[in-house]
Amino acid sequence: MSNFFDTLSVLILFSSFILMANKMTKSYIKTFRIQSMLLALAVGSMAIKSIIEEGRFDVLVVCLLIIILKVIYIPNLLNKAYAKAEYKVEKDFILNIPILVLVCCGLVVFCYFCLSTIDGINDGVINVQVVNSISVILIGLFFMISRKKAIGQIIGFLVIENGIFITAMFSTQGMPFIVDMGIFIDMLTAVMILGIMVFKINEEFDSIDIDKLNNLKG
Amino acid sequence: MEVGLATNLFKAAILFYLLGAAVALILINRHKLCNIISNAIYSVASALLIVSSIIKIISGSGQINISLFESPIPFITMNIRIDNLSAIFLLALSLLVLCVSLYSMGYISHYYGKRNVGIFNFLYSTFILSMIFVFTSANVVFFYIAWELMSMLSYFLVIFESEHEGNQRAGIIYIIMTYVGTAFLLIGFMLIYSYTNSFDIFGSSAAIPEFAKNIIFIMFLIGFATKAGAIPFHVWLPQAHPAAPSNVSALMSGIMIKTAIYGFVRFVLCYLGIQNTWWGVLILCIGIVSAVLGVAYALMEHNIKRLLAYSSVENIGIILIGLGVCFIAFAQENLLLGEMALVAALFHTFNHTLFKGGLFLGAGAIQYSTHTKDMEKLGGLIKTMPITALFILCFSLAVSAIVPFNGFVSEWLTYQSLFANIVSGQAGLNILSILAVAALGFAGAMAAACFVKLFGISFLGLPRSDHSLNAKEVPITMKIGMGMLATLCFAIGLFPLLILKLIDKVVFSLMGSSILEQLHGGCGIAYYSLNLSSGSISPAVMLIAIAGVILLALLGIRIIGGKYIERKYGTWDCGFEALNSRMQYTATGFSKPIKIVFKILFRPSRETVVTGDLAYHPESIEYITADESIIEKYIYNPVCERIKYFSRRMTFGVQTGSIHSYLTYIFVTVLLLMLYNMIA
Repeated sequence: MSNFFDTLSVLILFSSFILMANKMTKSYIKTFRIQSMLLALAVGSMAIKSIIEEGRFDVLVVCLLIIILKVIYIPNLLNKAYAKAEYKVEKDFILNIPILVLVCCGLVVFCYFCLSTIDGINDGVINVQVVNSISVILIGLFFMISRKKAIGQIIGFLVIENGIFITAMFSTQGMPFIVDMGIFIDMLTAVMILGIMVFKINEEFDSIDIDKLNNLKG
Repeated sequence: MEVGLATNLFKAAILFYLLGAAVALILINRHKLCNIISNAIYSVASALLIVSSIIKIISGSGQINISLFESPIPFITMNIRIDNLSAIFLLALSLLVLCVSLYSMGYISHYYGKRNVGIFNFLYSTFILSMIFVFTSANVVFFYIAWELMSMLSYFLVIFESEHEGNQRAGIIYIIMTYVGTAFLLIGFMLIYSYTNSFDIFGSSAAIPEFAKNIIFIMFLIGFATKAGAIPFHVWLPQAHPAAPSNVSALMSGIMIKTAIYGFVRFVLCYLGIQNTWWGVLILCIGIVSAVLGVAYALMEHNIKRLLAYSSVENIGIILIGLGVCFIAFAQENLLLGEMALVAALFHTFNHTLFKGGLFLGAGAIQYSTHTKDMEKLGGLIKTMPITALFILCFSLAVSAIVPFNGFVSEWLTYQSLFANIVSGQAGLNILSILAVAALGFAGAMAAACFVKLFGISFLGLPRSDHSLNAKEVPITMKIGMGMLATLCFAIGLFPLLILKLIDKVVFSLMGSSILEQLHGGCGIAYYSLNLSSGSISPAVMLIAIAGVILLALLGIRIIGGKYIERKYGTWDCGFEALNSRMQYTATGFSKPIKIVFKILFRPSRETVVTGDLAYHPESIEYITADESIIEKYIYNPVCERIKYFSRRMTFGVQTGSIHSYLTYIFVTVLLLMLYNMIA
């Protein structure tokens, strides 16, 4: 079982590398959808495990929510927002792709060394799952920095959220249900607001390039 | 039994103040009724508080403990503890409040229908309550809350006439300075807590190492000196006091800046204990600078209330000189001298409350009937407002330390303690003491000149404008308020032992020994000599002597000069029949010689603007003088410029408005924190 989760965490990490290497805005959303599916898979297997071992059903509900929200609803919403904000220029990253990917590799190594000193999460060997999922958080943040268009920031935010969620799952094997619900509602609100913002920014500046927001400074 | 009575009276006074605040809010729309009822309630409350604090001091050195509010949350408790030190400050506060409240009944009448009198009275009573809590709080958190409330409420009162742009500016400078000071106090309190794990003001400071005590002392020094308005932290004082309504300036100048003196005695002397001689030396130096520069700037002012505000700086300087000598003496374990200096400082604090409060009330009376604060527009008021003139003359004599008013006695005690501080074997300190004596003498002379100017220009001579020509005497309640203070000044000046006995009890309960044996008093007419030095003095006898000398002189003139015929003419008219007001000495002219002598201090500049075709036939001549404050020019302006420059650089350099750079800050911070976690 442990090997299975290790593999999944590596796959999730790998999906964020793919995200970083994406060139087209449309494929950001696709990659995010894939990452969310992997997340749902991980949570789903945990749910089955907890049903068998403890008879708890709440993790299953969380898994369903992930599928509904992160795999279906939010990517569709983003696709719509993207379709409305019509712009043609596709290249929107500030460094070139190979350098970005190399920096991501550096982040994973950095995480590995940082987490190796924390007591409590490593029993004897380094806990690879936690290292991978925290790397996902950092990569999500770095993704937000590396993209110029507002859609990139939204996806980066969602990836950070995914990373935090999977870190929590791997280190606690299922949080209290109420906490999960809180996280979902937070995220949903944030995404809806961001979607509206993208629309507004586009209306105001004829572009969703967030560098133009500099003009708002007083 | 007596303590129980004092406790009940204190509680009743607090309730009355709260009741007054509530009444002010309930009757918010009926200005006249609201004002009279609420001020009557404040007068009753302060009378109760006067009785309570006198009973407390006489009854001995015990403490009154009242727990207003206890909560399970740590530190959020309101404990009141009144010892003799609190009681003497409460006494000064409530004496002043009693007079000011009576005065306000008349003074506020010019706000009827124009301003919100209900809100004003609400702020006024809560301001007084906050000061009471500052003086009586038993733990640091409560003290800090009361202190903040006091600053905040006084800010609202300063900007009460907020339509003038000058007042808004004054308010902003006041709030900035007061928060800077409070920040330093907070650091001091936090340091205390980190060593002792206790917020008890009356606790022991034994757990604090000496090094930390020095830092705490510096923090308290800056914090309290800012509130006291000592130079170089005084910039807010001459701005804020003139901006506030006069009854509030009387409270602010009379008692609010004394909360800092209370803080010095309570936290530095009683709590920390005196560690090093340099503490006292530092306070002494600040006192000397404040006394000399404060009065020097006061002399240059033509706005009555600004003049009085600078005079407050001078008097705070005198109090700090007394306090400095006290600290030096305690550091050298010269208990007797320390106690005498403490008595001098507390006595001057008490006296300054009375006469400076009175002076601000007088300035308010002038403003009430002439609608101006500018001395150049006044003159001849003694004919239209004779009673106010008499009271202001009394206060002016008291502040100039002239027999037989109260200011003289406390300054004399300060001199005595400075002289007693000159002992053989400590050259540096002796030079400092001698300098302090000289500075005190200089400040005294300048203060006298300053109040000759205030009284002479405003009350004597001919009216300089229609404002003063049409002035009327103020309402009776205002006269009562000022008259009570004037009577107190005179009575304490004549029989200083009445108050000295109270203050001696305070010092006895703080320091454990009494200096009253050193001050011999005989049946009401005060006479005291000191074992420390050979000086002895009796104001009452001096008064009799002065009266005798004047009588003798008159008699001598009558005997030598023989019979003479009395002729009445206009003074100084040199044969001209029609004197007019433009022939008189102006306020500017009065202070000009001093301005030229102390050029280095005032940096005066003058400019004459002549308009017209020919220089020999001008249409008008304008004469403009200006002087600049060296402290603002060389300390505050450069600091402000630096801060502005730095802020502008930050706006362009760090806070760029680019979301990417903000995200990068977050990213780098996260990485650095992880790195720190790995290394640490």
